[in-house]
Amino acid sequence: MRFTAIRNGAGRRPMLLIGALLAIAMAGSAGAAGLPQIVHARQAHFKALGRAAKSLRDQIGRSHPDWSLVASEASRIQHLASALPSWFPAGSGKGHGVKTRAGAAIWARPHEFARAAQTLLNRAQNVTRAAASHDPRALALGSRALGQSCGGCHRRFRARSSWW
Amino acid sequence: MTAESPPNGRIRVWDLPTRLSHWTLVSLFGVCWWTADSDRMQWHRIAGYGVLGAVLFRLAWGFCGGQTARFGDFVRGPAATFRYARKLFGRRGAGAPVPLGHNPLGALSILVMLALLLTQATLGLFAVNVDGFGSGPFAKWVSFETGRRFAHLHAANFQLLLLLIGLHLTAIGFYRFARKEKLLAAMIHGSKPHAPPGEAPYFVPGWRAVWLAAGIFIFVALLLNLR
Repeated sequence: MRFTAIRNGAGRRPMLLIGALLAIAMAGSAGAAGLPQIVHARQAHFKALGRAAKSLRDQIGRSHPDWSLVASEASRIQHLASALPSWFPAGSGKGHGVKTRAGAAIWARPHEFARAAQTLLNRAQNVTRAAASHDPRALALGSRALGQSCGGCHRRFRARSSWW
Repeated sequence: MTAESPPNGRIRVWDLPTRLSHWTLVSLFGVCWWTADSDRMQWHRIAGYGVLGAVLFRLAWGFCGGQTARFGDFVRGPAATFRYARKLFGRRGAGAPVPLGHNPLGALSILVMLALLLTQATLGLFAVNVDGFGSGPFAKWVSFETGRRFAHLHAANFQLLLLLIGLHLTAIGFYRFARKEKLLAAMIHGSKPHAPPGEAPYFVPGWRAVWLAAGIFIFVALLLNLR
């Protein structure tokens, strides 16, 4: 009787329940262990952003900029900038037991942070337009503004690395 | 520049270009520190060019400046430096002769300081900031990763500079309180109180410093392709 109950599935319900509970518990612990992964991925994203920005910047001031390279880097920057706010889930900043320079101000002043991210995106779009129109002056001005929005955000939201 | 005669019982030791380059470096170091710490890379770069110019000026002035500014006058060999250090810290104490300009240990510190500052400025020329934008003028010749490595070396060398500056300030305090020598005041107004007769150093005309500074300015501007 018991065996048939197990075999026909009625007795599998407790097992399913245990399995589901285990899965939830593991997902929970994976969330906790996921913090380093979140930070690591965020750093990789920002490195990609910096690499694209440098590559773009290196073309500025040249008599014959590589416009196709400029356009691809500009669209990469725009793509990354639009995703940037999603790299900062709550609890992934400094002071959560992981080495990061994401300052507490990001979550303390979320509207200001969102506005700064929007500014970055707007300026990235300007650069994309300048790249599409092959306008060296607009590119220089646009990328200068873009760079300033990087620095402006780092000033307000990036914790210092200093040891003193 | 005709040698302004210091008050009675004092002797002129440091010429104006030497003092100016010293205090220029001090203030630019502060500006560089603050602008780097607060992500103001536009200003950090300009201040860094200033450091490069000031170090080059001091190096050149060490060959054509007044007697006390010349490397040939104050840089001593290891044996002489060791003899001086032994007398300075020896039990008989205060037995070390008091040189008019830099003492042999100070000379060593100056060489290391100028070398570190020149290294710092040079590393900065190739360094790339995290955002890829606030980069040195030569960063376009290197990749993002190499530029970041330069930036990390730039930061490590900065720690060495802080160490050396700490040592420098400690030494000034040591001379002030243990040897009663006011080095800080001398670097401000340029003269020292003791004047053994017949021991006045020679100085060079001031226009030489003006021409040298102009030459170095043009050299740095050409090097960095500033317009």
